[in-house]
Amino acid sequence: MTVRSDERLDGAPMRPVRCRRCAGEVLARKSSWEQTSIQWTAEARAACTGLDEDEHGTCPALRSAIQEAALTGGIEVLDD
Amino acid sequence: MTAAESDAIRRIEAEAISSRFARGWHCLGLAEKFKDGKPHTINGFGQKLVVFMGEDGKINVLDGYCRHMGGDLSQGTVKGNTIACPFHDWRWGGDGRCKGIPYSRRVPLRARTAAWPTMEQDQLLFVWNDPEGKQPPADVTIPVIEGATRDDWTNWRWTEQIVHTNAREVIDNVVDMAHFFYIHQSFPTYFKNVFEGHTATQIMKGVTREDSRRQREGGSGGGGPRMLGNTSVATYHGPSFMIDELTYHYEGYDLKSILINCHYPIDENSFSLHSGIIVQHSDALPPAAAEATAEKLSAFILTGFQQDVEIWKNKTRIDNPLLCEEDGPVYQLRRWYEQFYVDVADVAPEMTDRFEYEIDTTRPVESWKKEVEENLARLDAAEATA
Repeated sequence: MTVRSDERLDGAPMRPVRCRRCAGEVLARKSSWEQTSIQWTAEARAACTGLDEDEHGTCPALRSAIQEAALTGGIEVLDD
Repeated sequence: MTAAESDAIRRIEAEAISSRFARGWHCLGLAEKFKDGKPHTINGFGQKLVVFMGEDGKINVLDGYCRHMGGDLSQGTVKGNTIACPFHDWRWGGDGRCKGIPYSRRVPLRARTAAWPTMEQDQLLFVWNDPEGKQPPADVTIPVIEGATRDDWTNWRWTEQIVHTNAREVIDNVVDMAHFFYIHQSFPTYFKNVFEGHTATQIMKGVTREDSRRQREGGSGGGGPRMLGNTSVATYHGPSFMIDELTYHYEGYDLKSILINCHYPIDENSFSLHSGIIVQHSDALPPAAAEATAEKLSAFILTGFQQDVEIWKNKTRIDNPLLCEEDGPVYQLRRWYEQFYVDVADVAPEMTDRFEYEIDTTRPVESWKKEVEENLARLDAAEATA
C-alpha cells in the first residue's frame, strides 16, 4: 500500500522547533492552542531526557519551546 | 485551493488489498485451548495451519498440509512430539521436519514444511508471522502482563469472533476519538496518540454519559456506586496485539483492569478478533465481585465490538479519508502500520520515528455536552408522558 500524506498539512505544514534544554530539533504544528502535533527524528529522540519518566507524555521543555514558538510566530496557530 | 478545486466532488479511493500479511507476533487466544492433545485447525495468514502440543508440552504451529500428498494435518493425530498425517501417517515435528514415515526405511530429502515460531506467555499463545521467513528479533516482544498471573487479579475472560473485513479497520480505531462518542456511547474529554518504533499508543480519558446510563438503567438509576469516568492507556505492540490499561473511576474508588484487543488475519478480507479482560481485586472489589465485574466488562466489550462490526459490515474501504482538525492522525497511524507490511530492510525512519498528536477536545466536548443534554431532555419528556 502506498502511504499517503495528511492533507491537513497542505498549506499548513509542520515547522521546525528547537528544544532549549537538549537542542534537539523536531517538527511541530498547532491547529489550535490546545492541539499539538510533534514529529521527532531519531536524533532528537536520542537527545531528549524529558520522556524518561513518562514515555507517553510530552517532554515539558519541548512543550514550552513549542508554546513559545506559537507565541512568537515561529509556528502558526491555525485557528487563532 | 481554487474555487474549481473546492467544488470538485471528493472521490473515495481504495487500492486493491495486498495479500501480504503483517510481520509480527499474533495471539491465537488462550493457550489452554490447544493443550488437549489434539491438533487444531487455524485459518490464518491466508493459509490453513495446524496447532498441536507434543508430549514435551511445547505448542507448535505448522503449515496445515502434509508435504507428502497434501493431507490435512489438522485432521491428524498427535503422536509423541509429532503430528501424524491422517492420510499416510507421515510424522512432522514442531521444527517443520519430517521425523519418520512408519512404512518407509528413509525420510526423503527436502522433507521440511513451514513452521511458525511460537511463544506462550501470560496463558496466551502467540505465533510469529514473517513473510521473509526470519526468526523474531529479541527486541520485538510482547510485554509481560503482570496481572495475568497474579492471585489478586481475576482469570482471563476471553472472547473471539470472525469479522469479515480487512484488519486495517480495527487498527484505525487507535486514532478515532469521535467514534467513541457516536458508536460506543463514550464521552472522551482527553485524547492523545504516540507512535514510536513498533508501538502505537492511544491515551484517552472520558466521563460517563448520563444519557446512556439512563437508557441502560432506566430513570431510577441502577443503584450501586456511580461510575464517573475512565482513563485508558492502550498500546499496540506490533501489528495486532493491544494492551489497554483501563481504569474505571467510581465514587470513592478506582477499578483497575487490563483489556486485550487483538486479532490475526484469516485472509485479506477477514480476521479473527479477540478480547480478553482481567480485573484487579481490591477492598472495594473482593475476589467474587471482581470476577462478576470481569464477566460484566467482557460482555460490555463484546457489545462494543458489535457496534464496530455493524459499521465495518456496511462501510467502504477508504485510503483517502477526509479529515477535520479534531480528527486524529489517521495517515500517520497508517504510515506506522505500513512498517509491518514491508521487508525489514525497507522499514523507513518515518514509519518508526516518534510521533505525538494531542487533539484539542474543546469543541467536541462542547458539542457532545449539548447533545447529551438534549437526549436527557427527550428522556425526561418521554417519561413525563409515559
